[in-house]
Amino acid sequence: MTEPQTGRVEIDDLVIRFKGKQGPVTALERTRHVLEPGTFTALIGPSGCGKSTLMNAIAGFVTPAEGQVRLDGQTITGPSSDVGVIFQQYALFPWFTALSNVRYGLKQFGLSKREEIDRARAALAEVGLEAHADKYPQQLSGGMKQRVAIARTFAVGPKVLLMDEPFGALDAQTRLIMHDLLLDIWRKHRATVLFVTHDVDEALLLADHVQVMSHAPGRLIRHYPLTQPRPRALSRSGNELLEIREEILGLLHPKSTHADPLI
Amino acid sequence: MAVSDRARPTARFAQMLSAGAAAGLPLVSFAFILGIWSAVGLSGVVNEAIFPAPWSVWSATVEMWQNGTLQKDLAKSLGRAGTGFAIGATLGVVLGLLTGRVALVRTLLNPFLNLLRPIPAIALVPVAIVWFGIGEGSKYFVVSYTVFLTVWFNTHHGMEYVPDIYMRASRSLGASRLREFVTVVLPAAAPHIFAGIRLGVALAFLSLVAAELSGASSGIGFRLQEARQYVRTDRMFSLLIILGILGAVTDLIVHRIGKKLVHWEQG
Repeated sequence: MTEPQTGRVEIDDLVIRFKGKQGPVTALERTRHVLEPGTFTALIGPSGCGKSTLMNAIAGFVTPAEGQVRLDGQTITGPSSDVGVIFQQYALFPWFTALSNVRYGLKQFGLSKREEIDRARAALAEVGLEAHADKYPQQLSGGMKQRVAIARTFAVGPKVLLMDEPFGALDAQTRLIMHDLLLDIWRKHRATVLFVTHDVDEALLLADHVQVMSHAPGRLIRHYPLTQPRPRALSRSGNELLEIREEILGLLHPKSTHADPLI
Repeated sequence: MAVSDRARPTARFAQMLSAGAAAGLPLVSFAFILGIWSAVGLSGVVNEAIFPAPWSVWSATVEMWQNGTLQKDLAKSLGRAGTGFAIGATLGVVLGLLTGRVALVRTLLNPFLNLLRPIPAIALVPVAIVWFGIGEGSKYFVVSYTVFLTVWFNTHHGMEYVPDIYMRASRSLGASRLREFVTVVLPAAAPHIFAGIRLGVALAFLSLVAAELSGASSGIGFRLQEARQYVRTDRMFSLLIILGILGAVTDLIVHRIGKKLVHWEQG
């Protein structure tokens, strides 16, 4: 497989502010960062620190107060199918079947109906849901809904994939299955992934890079590159991951027994 | 929509029985009221001319049917309610989509329309008669105006509550604005639009009878007014019961259609 050339995300002196009752509130402090093509970055931080805000800026859902985000040199001004988004609440359209949900994204390519259905079916097969193509989201479990959402997003071939605590609503067992599934599909499609989570273990199991964010207003405070081969397990990947885990937990809860190395 | 029903035959039969009983339950209520009503009629304590017994109401109904006025009045009233409803509901949905979607239209119209909403339909009847005369025009106007406001209001609110996450999902899937409007915004607002339409159907009857009571020469409302002049309470009761049944049946039909069309709404 050739290394992808596209999907480079440059976050360039980005500042996000929201209107508050007493004037503007900074949700994201000045941030400068690059996501290299095809990498898998986990973004971890305390609740309300601005992880989702940063993600929303890359998705084009919020407008920067200062700075900009560029995708392969082009400034992002709004949502597009180059940047796929997986939401914690799935965001499937309940009036469409699983198949029609996947077809929704494919419509933009102007395929023949036959081809559109074939591609949608193939995308569902990739997440193991070909047998459930004609079911409505309400008839599927949480894990299956998120599979449909993953199939729907990958089917349009995004260069960047943003995931906002995608498995946060699932039970531990399902979550592990979804991790394997996600890594499998990502290996095939090779989008640049930014994965927002508050689960340290999840970040360590999945990512090439773990970025830790500070309390609000958020900024990136620590970067851990991970080179351990996947699939990983915290117990058998050696002590290194466990040490990083301790360090991150210390950063996230500075008032616990861990000394905060940043103060 | 049947979701893999795995109920065993006996359980299913029990289900059908209880469903049948639930459907028959209103009949118990009707029989109960009819019983009391008959008892009052038989006891002779109230003047039959003021409060007619059930059998008098029945024979008044048969009388109106046989001389043909009942069918004519029903057709007239249903035609008016239907036409007025169609005009009002169409305008209501279209304008609701506009005020929900286009900021300029919203700024220009919403405060004004909200001011109109509390005005009761009956208050409009005199104006309608001056503008459109005693014929069909004034009836269409009163009905469509009333239906329009309700349907507009609900459609507008349905548009406001389209979840943001659907729009975000739609746009990051590369959908055009037109496709997004037709296949995401409309279905997301549909439950509210249907709630408005259901209310609109009920209000169509209410406002129609209000319009027919003064200044009409046919229709159920007119016939009620005429019955007052001849002190025919038996006819009045008959017409009132027919109005009740008509309203309940149309509401049931509209509710069923709505459930089919927005099938994803119920849990």
